[in-house]
Amino acid sequence: MSIQITSDLQENIRNFEELFSDCQDIKKRKIKVGEHLQQECYIAYIEVTLSSVDFKDSAVGKLLGKLRALPEQELTAYVKNNIEDISDSQPFPTIEKAAEGMLTGDVLFFLDGYNKALKIPDKGYPGRGVYETESEKVIRGSNEGFSESIKLNTALIRKRLRSPHVKVKETFAGRRTNTNVDLVYLKDLIYPGMLEEIEKRLGEFEIDGTLDSGIIEQLTERRKYSPFPQFQTTQRPDRAAMAILEGRIVLLSDNSPVALILPATYNTFIQTSDDYYSRWEIASFTRALRYLASFLAMVFPGLYLAITNFHTQILPTDLLLSLAAARQGVPFPAMVEVILMEIAFELLREAGVRLPGANGNTIGIVGGLIIGQAAVDANIVSPIVVIVVALTALCSFAVPNEEFATAFRILKFLFIFLCGSLGFFGFLAGILAVLIHLSHLESFGIPYLAPFVGADLNGYQDERDTFLRLPLNYLKKRPVYTREGARTRLRLHKENEKK
Amino acid sequence: MDIFGMSSLMLPGMLSSMSGADGIFCLLLGMAAGALLLCLVGANLKHIRKDYYSYMKETAGQFFGDIFMVFYFLYFVSLCGYVLYQLTTLSLTWLLPDGSRVGISLILLLLAMYGSARGIEGRARVYEIIFWFLGIPLAIMLLFAMSDVNTAYYTPLVSSDVTALVEGSVAALVFLLPLTTLLFLKPFCRKPEKMVSCGNVAMVTVVLLNIVIYLVLLGVFGKNTMGVLERPVITLMGMVNLPGGFFTRQDVLMTAVWFFALFALLNTGMFQGTLVLQQLCQMPGNRFSLWVVAVIAFAIGKGFFDHSFLMEVFETYQVWVALPGMFLILLVLLLAHWLRADKKGRKGGNV
Repeated sequence: MSIQITSDLQENIRNFEELFSDCQDIKKRKIKVGEHLQQECYIAYIEVTLSSVDFKDSAVGKLLGKLRALPEQELTAYVKNNIEDISDSQPFPTIEKAAEGMLTGDVLFFLDGYNKALKIPDKGYPGRGVYETESEKVIRGSNEGFSESIKLNTALIRKRLRSPHVKVKETFAGRRTNTNVDLVYLKDLIYPGMLEEIEKRLGEFEIDGTLDSGIIEQLTERRKYSPFPQFQTTQRPDRAAMAILEGRIVLLSDNSPVALILPATYNTFIQTSDDYYSRWEIASFTRALRYLASFLAMVFPGLYLAITNFHTQILPTDLLLSLAAARQGVPFPAMVEVILMEIAFELLREAGVRLPGANGNTIGIVGGLIIGQAAVDANIVSPIVVIVVALTALCSFAVPNEEFATAFRILKFLFIFLCGSLGFFGFLAGILAVLIHLSHLESFGIPYLAPFVGADLNGYQDERDTFLRLPLNYLKKRPVYTREGARTRLRLHKENEKK
Repeated sequence: MDIFGMSSLMLPGMLSSMSGADGIFCLLLGMAAGALLLCLVGANLKHIRKDYYSYMKETAGQFFGDIFMVFYFLYFVSLCGYVLYQLTTLSLTWLLPDGSRVGISLILLLLAMYGSARGIEGRARVYEIIFWFLGIPLAIMLLFAMSDVNTAYYTPLVSSDVTALVEGSVAALVFLLPLTTLLFLKPFCRKPEKMVSCGNVAMVTVVLLNIVIYLVLLGVFGKNTMGVLERPVITLMGMVNLPGGFFTRQDVLMTAVWFFALFALLNTGMFQGTLVLQQLCQMPGNRFSLWVVAVIAFAIGKGFFDHSFLMEVFETYQVWVALPGMFLILLVLLLAHWLRADKKGRKGGNV
């Protein structure tokens, strides 16, 4: 049951301190205000969230300064009537709500004779600020990345989309963490029902804590056993803004620098921000390369096994002989050899990720060059397998989204097994299984393989931004997941159209 | 894609031994008969309000409706078994010569079950993707194969007797029979009014492709050689030399075209068989009917391997039961519908 805040300050303090007993990080102060310092007020905050250096210039400092200049009898009326003047302040009627307010990183203010608690923003929780993204590097375009502060992240999107149609819907997730979750979207562009659907899914679970957007992602996706992610993730505000401009919804979670974008398709995972900043020839070339990379990251070692173990007649004799010569002296069957190298590579990758920056690079060099060379010299693996595994790794790194690339990395082992034991038949069976799975997969009602399937739904316009990215003046329509009737993205003036 | 795989794989060998260069005319006559079949399908589709089974019951009564459904079930399930046999043979011949027959059949069947369980939408999407990936290399290969064509093999033309022509045309038509699946697809269609025209486009495209393939094969192998080759189109793929090509033989890679195309037909047979059984027995989900169809298809497929006479039985069934049955059912339904409409009209007049 909620405890109401009354006009009796002592009672409020008692209730509040009972709630936060044994919380040494919560600072609670009684302060005298009024021109004769006859009336009491009470402020509470988390240790680091209140600026001690610029206290006088802070909102709380200024409020206290003002209250010290006013006669005691006018204090309550002043606070009651001037709440709006204090930037982003919010009154709470109960102790619990007030406590929640304070835990968002703001200062809580009680005044004797006033039956509400005021939440007054200040420095807030410590954060990293805006830094360059670690992943999703681009050659051209902004280098700003999301941080752990949700407010900062929404501001970074707002900075790019200065339209009143951009809406930010706030909700909370996690019983004990009470984490802020924001849904950012363009009201006039989102597909009808999409917002309701994500809100419904957010309401379908109750969890103790959501410490990262990844937890929300896993709890709200429908096909939980699919290796393919059904939300796109990004750490780039410009990518998020671009998605919003396409009628998609961006989900931000406090304490997470990773934003979720919905809906997501195979095509959106392959796109990068600089695809649209670079000239179309360059963008198309790299896009096609990424598509090829996503396929090869999954099947390349498997295809190698299928051809060298089962269908050698495909290869020219010279190449076949050199492959056979390279394998001479290797004691393992080719499949074991490939699996060993792939596992070694995955270990190197994992070690490189966990180790601090410089050490991580060292692991790459030590593992890739020294161990690889030593394994070849010791006849444990053949040089061709090292090349195959290295090329596969390059392909998986070329896929711009980490979660999406991981799906191919996992499926790679399935293909190694299938092709190693069933040859090209296993390869075809595997491709069929993956295609059937992908064709059935949907992200918030949008087919995962769109626009390669159902291209007619948007008049074959979406196909202009798939394997190839056609010149921008051909990309006049927004994708199929935008509201119908609001799909015009670009309108050229007549003289420009002629050119 | 469903009808292309099997027809391009089997028809050239059959037609060349039946009617030589006149096989082209058989393909065209088969297409004409196929167009007639689609006309009947279209005429019936217009009257289907809910689904085909309900329409059959409304028009011909519960008893005949059930009989017709049993006929369709037998057709789809036998088709499924036959395609499974062909696909397994294809895999064993070109992809995995040392593989286990039963193992390959089971893998294919499980994949088809996975595809069917995912529903028609997933199936359609898979083929939409595969069509483009396979169509381009096939076109390239056929283009390069044209350089080996000897036009002398195209003569003598119009030399076959009428019986050979009719037999060839019937064979061509039998491979177009899966077009009747359109009858069952109305409830799944966003634009049902376009179904027949789509069916016509698909049929014409497949027949034209088959004519091109037939002409290339006839020009490369000649009538006699082609007649003894079991799957001449794949043999051709192994012979084509791509200029500056890295691969010495492409037959294994190009088998993918027919592997996927045959799988499409297997999946169609399984999906339709499941749907028919589900409606006939009024089952709420498709799990049980899917397993029933899979088990029967497996048994039929295995039967083809173990008892060669079953192949003759199947061919006889296709020509003498399935083919006339399809036409007959559609005609009976149309007739019954007109009679009912006429009766209703007269009743309306009396009142």
